[in-house]
Amino acid sequence: MKANLTTRFFGLELKSPVVAASSSMTGNVDQIRKIADAGAGAIVLKSIFEEEIYHQLQEELSRRNEFLSDPEYLDYFDYVIKDESLRKYVKLVSDAKAAAGVPVVASINCATSNEWMAFAAKLQEAGADALELNLFVAPSDYGKTGQDHENFYFTVVDRVLRHVSIPVSIKISHYFSNLAGMVQKLSQTGVAGISLFNRFYAPDIDIAAEKVVAADVLSADNEYLLPLRWTGILAGKTACRLAGTTGIHTAETAVKFLLAGASAVQVASALYQHGPAVVADMNSGITRWMDEKGYVSIDDFRGKLSLQNVGNATAWERVQFMKYFGEKEF
Amino acid sequence: MSTYQEYLKGEREQTWRAELRKMTPNKERTTIERVKMPELDPQIRIHYQDREVNLGLTAEQAVLEARRCLDCPTPTCIEGCPVSINIPKFVKNIERGEFLEAAKTLKETSALPAVCGRVCPQEKQCEAQCFYTQKMKKTPVAIGYLERFAADYERESGRMSVPEVAAPNGIKVAAIGSGPASLSFAGDMIKLGYDVTVFEALHEIGGVLKYGIPEFRLPNKIVDVELTNLEKMGVKFERNFIVGKTASFDDLKAEGFAAFFVASGAGLPRFMNIPGENYNGILSSNEYLTRVNLMNAASDAFDTPVLRGKNVAVIGGGNTAMDSVRTAKRLGAERAMIIYRRSRDEMPARVEEVHHAEEEGIEFINLTNPVEYFANERGRVNRMRVQRMELGEPDASGRRSPRVIEGSEYDIDVDLVVVAVGVSPNPLIPSALKELKVSRWGTIEVDKESMQSSVPELFAGGDIVRGGATVILAMGDGRRAAAGMHRYLTGDQTSNH
Repeated sequence: MKANLTTRFFGLELKSPVVAASSSMTGNVDQIRKIADAGAGAIVLKSIFEEEIYHQLQEELSRRNEFLSDPEYLDYFDYVIKDESLRKYVKLVSDAKAAAGVPVVASINCATSNEWMAFAAKLQEAGADALELNLFVAPSDYGKTGQDHENFYFTVVDRVLRHVSIPVSIKISHYFSNLAGMVQKLSQTGVAGISLFNRFYAPDIDIAAEKVVAADVLSADNEYLLPLRWTGILAGKTACRLAGTTGIHTAETAVKFLLAGASAVQVASALYQHGPAVVADMNSGITRWMDEKGYVSIDDFRGKLSLQNVGNATAWERVQFMKYFGEKEF
Repeated sequence: MSTYQEYLKGEREQTWRAELRKMTPNKERTTIERVKMPELDPQIRIHYQDREVNLGLTAEQAVLEARRCLDCPTPTCIEGCPVSINIPKFVKNIERGEFLEAAKTLKETSALPAVCGRVCPQEKQCEAQCFYTQKMKKTPVAIGYLERFAADYERESGRMSVPEVAAPNGIKVAAIGSGPASLSFAGDMIKLGYDVTVFEALHEIGGVLKYGIPEFRLPNKIVDVELTNLEKMGVKFERNFIVGKTASFDDLKAEGFAAFFVASGAGLPRFMNIPGENYNGILSSNEYLTRVNLMNAASDAFDTPVLRGKNVAVIGGGNTAMDSVRTAKRLGAERAMIIYRRSRDEMPARVEEVHHAEEEGIEFINLTNPVEYFANERGRVNRMRVQRMELGEPDASGRRSPRVIEGSEYDIDVDLVVVAVGVSPNPLIPSALKELKVSRWGTIEVDKESMQSSVPELFAGGDIVRGGATVILAMGDGRRAAAGMHRYLTGDQTSNH
């Protein structure tokens, strides 16, 4: 019997656990169509960034300096820019819906908690099947406490959930002092899913030029270990489903996440490197593996190796280094 | 030296000006205190929508204020005026008691002196460039008050001068919209001998001057006098006429119109797109002010309704917000509030309007922004949630940007909210002319000097180009467009205002 890849994430039934993560590739309708045709379970659209809108405003203001003497005009221009961004994004949602034939998830990157309630409602009106809130606060403000940061997440989620009826998922970072507790509490807010973890721009240093530069923007295929570990630890302990993201480039890695307890995996860097065909490759790889193992559905093995099911905390939490180095001889 | 500067120099060297300068030494002039505009008592005026707040200067006050002007050899004040009024000439005419001559000087370049004297933000324009402000760090000559004085004096004298117009050249041109940009354009074009028709969609001429600015700031009768003056000069007005619907551009061209000036304004209200904004009791400043100003909703003698509130919040910090909140006060609000996301220093409203609003008991809640509205069981707004803001780094415009203070939300009881966060360009003309180049925001793109659009016979100015502008900037556009259109129609490259 051929394996059935159907799963659930984002509060929706997906025909495959391989989801196109939010990236510039999912900001273009032609690409979206190709990725959907390759068999993606869902498309998470390129995020609409609050920060990006602010930078666009600054750019436009610099360009339109003939109006700088008119404060009344300046005073409403940021509303104009914001509206324009929203209008474009609403169009992307409806065009993607028409082109994809699979669930389309709108993605919002929030920097402030109130700004996006209305955006969320508009994206629902535009036909998005679900929302993903890409939540991230850099914990680098010395004036704030950990509690302040955590409250931000709960406030945003609460406000958005009050204003939309479509399912809302969140994508978060691992920057929490008690990650497990935080994810568990977030899962109890009413969100449909949590994706672990978002990946950010990272600085690097060029030692020849002695300059701070941008690190590689694409993930490497071993970067999956951190989200895999936390998927394994958290699976079964949350009130909503989990997905893995970052460093997932192959069917084998996708299977690892499913075994750890994820319901889906989100891929972006692999799409940049190999194009939409990578989705088809991953689907056939997962199918082949399931067939070999005799699994008919994802639920037959999802979470089989999670901490909860394995019951061996040391395997997931700390000992692997001790064992490796304990047996090493020089 | 340019022709215009030579003209100004020649005017300044006239005998009467030279003698006037000698009569009072500059040292004495600079010791005179700036005049204070007499005002109607705040406790009285808040009961009247149609009683003007500023009462105007007496002749004695005007002459004394005019004496402060030093009649500078390089009058920088003119550079601050978008319609290039010969300011020293009209001010010195007031000083020598020739008030009608002063009015005539104003009308050389301004179609609406009585209007500008009331609504221009002089403190950001001519008065900001005054020698007193620039070099002496003293309060500038009250150019706006004097402008109003001269225009009012002429009107009340019954001896209104009608500016000279050139012999008709038989060329028909149209202005679309009848706000300040169009009226300024029409005034210049009729002087050049064109056959000018102004098309207005509404039943009243005046555009934003009539529907946008309340009578306590700009009485309609003042606007009407200026309109009558234009009519006397030969400008024709067509009311209830929507260009693009009532007749197309092709229809008008077939009727002989050779060129068009589009100044159809920014009549599309903007909202903030926040939750609850569709509840009853939340309306745009356009709607609120139009109902009161143009449709007499404040008067029991008219059927036009307008919502009244006891706790009224007006969102925004511009002149339209001030007009709305002060209107609400006059319609009986016990608590009339301005909610503005920046600080007082960044408010775009005229300083005088803010001052008047304060005198009238308007509450200013600055560095605060609404985030959500709530309603009673009948869907009428009864509460708004606001959040506090703080000012961050200066943005590309040089103004400090407002930043959200997380967790600072609180609620305010309201039963009427007027949203005055700007307006968008009227989409009618751009949608009627597919070949017209418009910006991403719906404004018509024009050459900045000639105001000519991508359609050669079509010029544009005011809000439809700027996306939002003060009366005087719109009038400046109208003047530039008139000069640009004249050059286009005649090939006369020397023509300029």
